[in-house]
Amino acid sequence: MTRRIVSVLRRRAGRLVAVAVLLALSVVTATSAAASAAPATPATPTTPIENVVFLMQENHTFDNYFGTRPGVDGIPKGVCMPMRADLPEPCVKPFHIGKLGAIDLDHSADAFAQQYNGGRMNGFVEGVSRAGKDGRMAMAYYDDRDLPYYWNLADEYVLFDRFFSSSHSGSIRNHMYRVTGGPGAAGKAETIPATGWGNIPTIFDRLEAAGISWKFYVQNYDPTITFRSRVEEEDIDRGAQVIWVPLLGYARYVDDPRLFSKIVDLDEYYADAARGDLPAVSFIAPAGNSEHPPGNIGAGQNLVRALLTQLMRSPEWSSSAFIWSYDDWGGWYDHVKPPKVDQYGYGFRVPALLVSPYARRGRVDSTTLDFTSVLKFIEVNWRLKPLASRDAKANTFLDAFDFDAPPRPGVLLSAERTTVALRRPDPRPVYGSYATALLLVGALVGAAAVRGRRRSR
Amino acid sequence: MSVSHPATTDKLPEQRGGDAQRPARSAPPSWLPALRRPRWKVAGGLTGVAVLALFVRTWQIDAFGFNSDEAVYAGQAASLAGNPRYTEYFPVFRAHPMLVQALLSPFFRAGEVDVAGRLVVVALGVLTVLAVYPLGARLYTRRVGLIAALLLAVMPYHVVVTRQVLLDGPMVLLATLTLYCMVRFVQRQDALWYVATAAMLGLTMLAKETSIVLAGSVYAFLALTPGVRRPVRATLLALPVLALVFATHPISQALAGRTETGRNYLVWQLFRRPNHPMSFYLENVPSSIGLLVLLAAFGGLWWARRQRSWRETLLLSWIAVPVVFFQLWPVKGFQYLLPVVVPVAVLAARALAVLPVPARVAAVPRRVMPRARVHLVVRLVAVATVALSLLGPCWRAVSQQGGAHFLAGSGGVPGGREAGRWLTDHTPDGSVILTLGPSMSNIIRYYGQRQSYGLSVSPNPLHRNPSYVALNNPDGWLRNNNLHYIVWDSFSARRSTFFADRLATLVRRYHGRIVHTEYVGGADASGRAVPVPVIIIYEVRP
Repeated sequence: MTRRIVSVLRRRAGRLVAVAVLLALSVVTATSAAASAAPATPATPTTPIENVVFLMQENHTFDNYFGTRPGVDGIPKGVCMPMRADLPEPCVKPFHIGKLGAIDLDHSADAFAQQYNGGRMNGFVEGVSRAGKDGRMAMAYYDDRDLPYYWNLADEYVLFDRFFSSSHSGSIRNHMYRVTGGPGAAGKAETIPATGWGNIPTIFDRLEAAGISWKFYVQNYDPTITFRSRVEEEDIDRGAQVIWVPLLGYARYVDDPRLFSKIVDLDEYYADAARGDLPAVSFIAPAGNSEHPPGNIGAGQNLVRALLTQLMRSPEWSSSAFIWSYDDWGGWYDHVKPPKVDQYGYGFRVPALLVSPYARRGRVDSTTLDFTSVLKFIEVNWRLKPLASRDAKANTFLDAFDFDAPPRPGVLLSAERTTVALRRPDPRPVYGSYATALLLVGALVGAAAVRGRRRSR
Repeated sequence: MSVSHPATTDKLPEQRGGDAQRPARSAPPSWLPALRRPRWKVAGGLTGVAVLALFVRTWQIDAFGFNSDEAVYAGQAASLAGNPRYTEYFPVFRAHPMLVQALLSPFFRAGEVDVAGRLVVVALGVLTVLAVYPLGARLYTRRVGLIAALLLAVMPYHVVVTRQVLLDGPMVLLATLTLYCMVRFVQRQDALWYVATAAMLGLTMLAKETSIVLAGSVYAFLALTPGVRRPVRATLLALPVLALVFATHPISQALAGRTETGRNYLVWQLFRRPNHPMSFYLENVPSSIGLLVLLAAFGGLWWARRQRSWRETLLLSWIAVPVVFFQLWPVKGFQYLLPVVVPVAVLAARALAVLPVPARVAAVPRRVMPRARVHLVVRLVAVATVALSLLGPCWRAVSQQGGAHFLAGSGGVPGGREAGRWLTDHTPDGSVILTLGPSMSNIIRYYGQRQSYGLSVSPNPLHRNPSYVALNNPDGWLRNNNLHYIVWDSFSARRSTFFADRLATLVRRYHGRIVHTEYVGGADASGRAVPVPVIIIYEVRP
């Protein structure tokens, strides 16, 4: 009897186990099917940085903006750039641009070659002159009188003095390096193909696949201008939007409403930052505030200041990193010979700064970097695969952060280089003179009272 | 009605013969011996008055943060003390002499301080109440001194002002001592007391320079009282002493390396446009002093007019000259007439002490109550009635929870401290604030440690306080991202609808987003309790 009961229980238990296994299998199958349909769970960052903002301005070199700043690899003493590369005299010394208006210097691949002059770095004036412009302007520089806000930021955060443009050519190739780690179109031609950039992978493809949020914020964004509608004559004006926002040169980004909706006007940046809804990765393209000569560099500072002000007021400030640089050298002088890493680059140094609550205060970082270093940082931070050989080999700027320290609160820096500090007067004469007055009056009243008592006696 | 016991006056040692004002010496009143009680009873009474004065001055003293003037004086004191929170926002020298600020500064050496500063002024306010006793006793009787101290202890005007870090409370203490010195001079005819009066007046002016108007009171008194010796030689000594004491202000500025601000401020005050209508004092001050007090003071002068002496002339001069001066001066402020409260209280106390008791009331059968006791009881009831008539408004003034309207100088600003602290906690360092007017700007600087500018501050230097910095182009500042927050407050908006509209335009134009609101309790049309916004902070951007 007991054996029968035990065998029945065993059979029933076996059935229950089988049902449980089937149920478990079905749950696992369903889960894995769902997992394959949806993006993977977003990876957690490997650093405290949860929001990266990357702005690309236009056309200046490091020496042009920070060459006279103490403590950096700036303009060497005694530099005099020959008017003609083959003759040492006459030559042009670097000079403060003062009230001279900036001009749009030649900054094509040919101009680079002439200025680079086989590594002799002595063709900066001639390279511009040959384009029919005043070559002496290549030696003009700005300083803290013109860029007080940027210089103030450099005091408080990180300034890179070996940050090179990725390509020794103009905007199109450098912007492609910024988002793909590669030059875009191979060969000599630096144009956007009529059929778009095809299947060249971008950092946003990687982010999409990993389920990491991103947006491309565009100042004065016009969604009707894409690689299909753009005409080259408009490059300087609105057509430049497709150059500065390479995603608008991709059919798959333009035609997919979901991806296309992530390219938005810059106004959304302010709203997203205010709400604490910034995506993990934000790229920003300017328009009129790009500092592209002969544009007003003050307007560019204002843009950067407005973006940083909003970020510092955002709930996400404590986990953010804001980096901005310049897409090419713009024809200006820079004294550092760029390393040759492949047939496209590097180009000359460009200014680059990092602002973050973890950025080391007042640091000058001399790590050799380029635009793909930002890609490398994103890839390292979210465990993404590299896009191309350039970003795979690039250095990152992790040393510019101090993740051992707590995040610093934001500081809205002044747009004036020297703030007027109130001088506290010496308090001793104040205390001394008032104490003397009190004693004098007290003594007089006391004397009167004492004399009155004596008289009344 | 018959006057039972007219007030008595002393004869001056050197009164001229045939003086028309000279009162006839009369017999001491029957109640005077009763006043000559042991001193401990007076001390007990004074202690009770002081405790009452202290209680009403400290009750809920921390309910609201500083108003604009308090913020400025406290900020100056903190800057003088080297408090790092404030040296950037408040220059040590602004407009007034620094006696009070120097006295306060040891309490402002570190951190955010407000209650400690107010308590110092409260202590000086209570000392003023105590100082009224010897003044009243010396002028009339101890009873008058005690009643005057009681009236001042609960007088809403004095209570409200001496709960704030303002210069006027300490100034009135010194003005009371000046008056006391003057009384001693008149009674003793000792030139040293005259010089001491001048020195004390100089000290009063170091508390607040507008008290120079009391020199006019002294002059008016001497001119109107032929019975008092006019010491010409002593005046030649007293005036340099007064000037020497007051010279502390410019000398300390010069030694500390600053000379300009004071002069600019004086020029501006002399020529600025009126800030209130002519009826301002009439609308605000009598009710704060107490209508029954005023009735007693001036009614007493009427019914005891035959006993008029130099005392009443002195007290009336101390009242009339400031009243006339500040009424005519274009700049008006709630607390400016505070020096008159002491002579008003003494006159009212004197009247209550000799209150005429109608014969019908006094005609109580002796077996029920002796006549003197009847008079005493009637006068005690009168004193209690007047004191209670002050205590009610006084209690309301110190225990109210604030509203959407605010009169400068009448207390702390609801929500101002909280808004400032919110800015400290929730905005990045370096944030710059645009407020509607300079008053809220001062409060934001004090509690928020943020640079702030008032939209209504005129770019024309002739039309603004030289201590204020005007924004010539606030729109340009916003466009260039030099202003990061805009603060609207109902108190300033009520005073200037024009600038309130301008501010609203800037909020709209620069993407204003409400990030914080301070409320006070209010009521809607149906009487239902609703929160009323009094301060709104907007985040703005280009």
